[in-house]
Amino acid sequence: MRRKQAIMAPEGNRAPMHRSKSWFSQVLSLIPAMLVPWLAMIMMGPGMTGLGVQQAHAAAPEKARMPGEVRKVLRITFQAAETGFDPARISDYYSGMVIEAIFEPLLTYDYLARPARLVPNTAESMPEVGEGGRTWTFRLRRGIHFTPDPAFKGRPRELQARDYAYAIRRFMDPANRSPYAFLFEGRIAGLDELAAQAAKSGRFDYDAPVAGLETPDSHTLRIRLREPDLGFAYIMAHSLTGGIAREVVEAYGAEVGAHPVGTGAFMLGQYTRSSRIVLTANPGYRSERWNFSAGTDPQALALDEKIVSVMRGRKVPAIDAVEISIMEETQSRWLAFVSGDTDLEYQLWEVAPRFMNGDGTLKAEFAQRGIRLHRSVDPEIVYLHFNTGSTLGEGGAANPLGGFTPARIALRRAIALAWRIDDQIAIIRKGQAVKASYPIPPGVAGHIPDYRGILRHDPRTANALLDRHGYARGRDGYRRQPDGSPLVVRFSSMPSERDRQFDELMKRSLDAIGIRVDIHKDHFAELIKQQKQCRLMMRMSSWIADYPDGDNFMQLLYGPNTGQSNSACYRSPEYDALYERSRRLPDGSERDRLYRDMTRLMEVHTAWRITDSRYRNVLTQPHVVGYKTHPVMPAVWKYLDIDAAAASNRRDVR
Amino acid sequence: MQTYLLRRLLQSVPTLLGAILFVFLLFNWVGGDPAYVLAGKFSSPEQVEAIRRQLGVDQPLYVQLWIFVRQMLTGDFGLSWATNEPVANILATRLGPSLTVLLPMLVISTVIALAAAMLAARLRGSLTDRMVMVSCTAGQSISILVYIIVLQYLLGYRLEWFPVQGWGNSLGQNLLVYSLLPVLVGVLVSLAPDIRLYRSFFLEEVRQDYVRTARAKGLGEARIMVVHVLRNAGIPVITHVLIQLPALLTGAFLIERFFSIPGIGREVILAVERSDFPVIKAVTVYIAMATIAVNIITDLVYRALDPRVRLE
Repeated sequence: MRRKQAIMAPEGNRAPMHRSKSWFSQVLSLIPAMLVPWLAMIMMGPGMTGLGVQQAHAAAPEKARMPGEVRKVLRITFQAAETGFDPARISDYYSGMVIEAIFEPLLTYDYLARPARLVPNTAESMPEVGEGGRTWTFRLRRGIHFTPDPAFKGRPRELQARDYAYAIRRFMDPANRSPYAFLFEGRIAGLDELAAQAAKSGRFDYDAPVAGLETPDSHTLRIRLREPDLGFAYIMAHSLTGGIAREVVEAYGAEVGAHPVGTGAFMLGQYTRSSRIVLTANPGYRSERWNFSAGTDPQALALDEKIVSVMRGRKVPAIDAVEISIMEETQSRWLAFVSGDTDLEYQLWEVAPRFMNGDGTLKAEFAQRGIRLHRSVDPEIVYLHFNTGSTLGEGGAANPLGGFTPARIALRRAIALAWRIDDQIAIIRKGQAVKASYPIPPGVAGHIPDYRGILRHDPRTANALLDRHGYARGRDGYRRQPDGSPLVVRFSSMPSERDRQFDELMKRSLDAIGIRVDIHKDHFAELIKQQKQCRLMMRMSSWIADYPDGDNFMQLLYGPNTGQSNSACYRSPEYDALYERSRRLPDGSERDRLYRDMTRLMEVHTAWRITDSRYRNVLTQPHVVGYKTHPVMPAVWKYLDIDAAAASNRRDVR
Repeated sequence: MQTYLLRRLLQSVPTLLGAILFVFLLFNWVGGDPAYVLAGKFSSPEQVEAIRRQLGVDQPLYVQLWIFVRQMLTGDFGLSWATNEPVANILATRLGPSLTVLLPMLVISTVIALAAAMLAARLRGSLTDRMVMVSCTAGQSISILVYIIVLQYLLGYRLEWFPVQGWGNSLGQNLLVYSLLPVLVGVLVSLAPDIRLYRSFFLEEVRQDYVRTARAKGLGEARIMVVHVLRNAGIPVITHVLIQLPALLTGAFLIERFFSIPGIGREVILAVERSDFPVIKAVTVYIAMATIAVNIITDLVYRALDPRVRLE
């Protein structure tokens, strides 16, 4: 319409334009004009193509290679784009994997031991623990250096205790809005006060002394906790707690996320954001040889022994580089893997039936090609949580699911019993999950494999329970509240294909017990907001281990964590007292007993219906040697090797 | 002409402000609170509030809107909330890969569609015309996803004619290796609607008196179609092509995602998924500006091509 007003054409039919000689040449001239920028880019080559390729600064020279020696490159994919490599600022899984390869925490995990076992990393030994878990003293190995960077002005920079103290402080700096600040919040004496001061003044004083964070000498870090915490070692093994050189952060400022400089086995080589990340072996990495022993898990013993026999004594890292391509689409990742363009594929959940038999084994056609399937259960739980608060948010509407009266507990329990868990695993998960009933998943300290939950699929009992507590059915077949008012429960989910399947399953489950459900759709940010404000009634959530200790899961129901991680807004003084006791105990039978009691209490109150833990199916090409999935250390690339002979049929062997 | 340009530029100001207001209200209405996502899975209300302060989303709406306008005027949209990368850098680095795929796609599909449409119009009512039209209808009714999945599987994986996906560091490699299959998919997808549209332009022209006159003068059919009909049908074609240009700035997100092309379309989707408002704001403003600019250019091209057109 606007153009019609602007352009005044002559009235009547358009006449032919035989006489206009110039217009055609003008049209033709438009085409090259359109192509000029594009052609210019071709002429100018890669440096001017605007591809955003970043080369690591002052990268150390690659190692010298013998004539004919093959460059060993591990090619993998991420199914989501990274957000950056600043340990204090990221929260996504894939950025965390790269950080794990570049930075080094004081402690790490034994590659083969299951359940995961802590071992020293840059610390020369396990920490000295004093005052029943209140003080922790870490002594660093000497001679570990950061990879070269202009921030060091050409001088080698040794890793020191202050780098860990600085890294810890950074989590608490409000300017970093660290999603993992919870690792240190409320734990280290004096640190929260410093953070509170920074929140007021707008500036975090990195030079201010912190009572609980001392470096008596260059290679000793002493941490004093507010309360004894025997699980603190797990925090110091978290991949985001690696040592960071302050001068690097100050040199790059807001862009430090694109310039990670660590002491790890790999360093950032080439980096095209959201597309390609190349990690090259750190040539200055300390002399380390692969030296693990087979774990004690009888099911994994044969694999462990095979890995040990092949890998023992090899240099760490054995590979020269890791090339990471971001591929969001499963079809692309799958085709890239089967055509040999990638060496290791972490998650092909949607296409699992293409390569896996019903019993979870690899199909013969792939096994014959030497492809290997590494199947393990992720250290996570998926659960349906009920808002146990009596109102929806502070001062909000009454919550028909909330409270601890027998009728309300009965309603929650009936829903939990009605949940069609078998359908969830068969239809939604396509068989790629195992039923779960305990809040602590396999592979995490505190997991009880033989625990028998009381919330199993049993619609008959669910109906009986509702009948007994006065939830009578109306003429429409749906139940009403005991006082006769309508009963509608609300299930919240995102507008995704997978969540639509959950909606349908919820509807079918609750129809079977005569409960009317209202499906509430919203996007992730809004659901999280409402969940933290205790304004949702029911939602499916999942929690994957930040560290392999049961505390990481049992805190999800701790009353004071309401508004943070306690999505059920569950406040039980009895549970809280047991949880507080458990925090003072080391991993062991006494703590397990408390965890069992806490779980049973949660089930009785029915704050959650724990549903499943998903499988992780990792595929490796025949030439990838030494792979074993670790429950909490996904970036195990430094422990792998590439069999050059087997890799010779790769399309891109260099 | 100058008056016209001045008036169009002045008219573009409220258009741009309207686009800004629309995006701003839309984001604030349905975009959700990014602070809750950025705060991570274990965050206290105080931390969420601190992040809101840092992002400026705790400010009254009119203040936030003013910040948006100021950013548009200065061209500085700050840092991405999700990655801390300067927004200007995001746009600058992602545009190249998108154009590497989309420009050849546009040029090739336009040339082929023109030729096919001209042929169909010339042979109107014939078996060839009917087959072209049936193919176009069928082609249009198939989702782009089907094209991508089938061609990626068939031509990339099974026949190994093209890489299944990927992107390199040199433009030559990207253009001659990695772009080929995405361009082929894009061309196939856009051919059907383009051919139908262009055919209608040609049919409108072949009925004109000047075509009859040309035939009466004894000119050959090929000359009539290429020299006379194409010239006149070219005007709406050029309009159609030019109008597609701003879309180059948004990329083709499905093609970029499936073929792992680090383009702007993929980035826009990421920004929406992450509630990364600075990126969404910048992309919206630039697209609005490009659309306005292309509209003005289209009018000028009209004027250049057809002297009868007056710009008032």
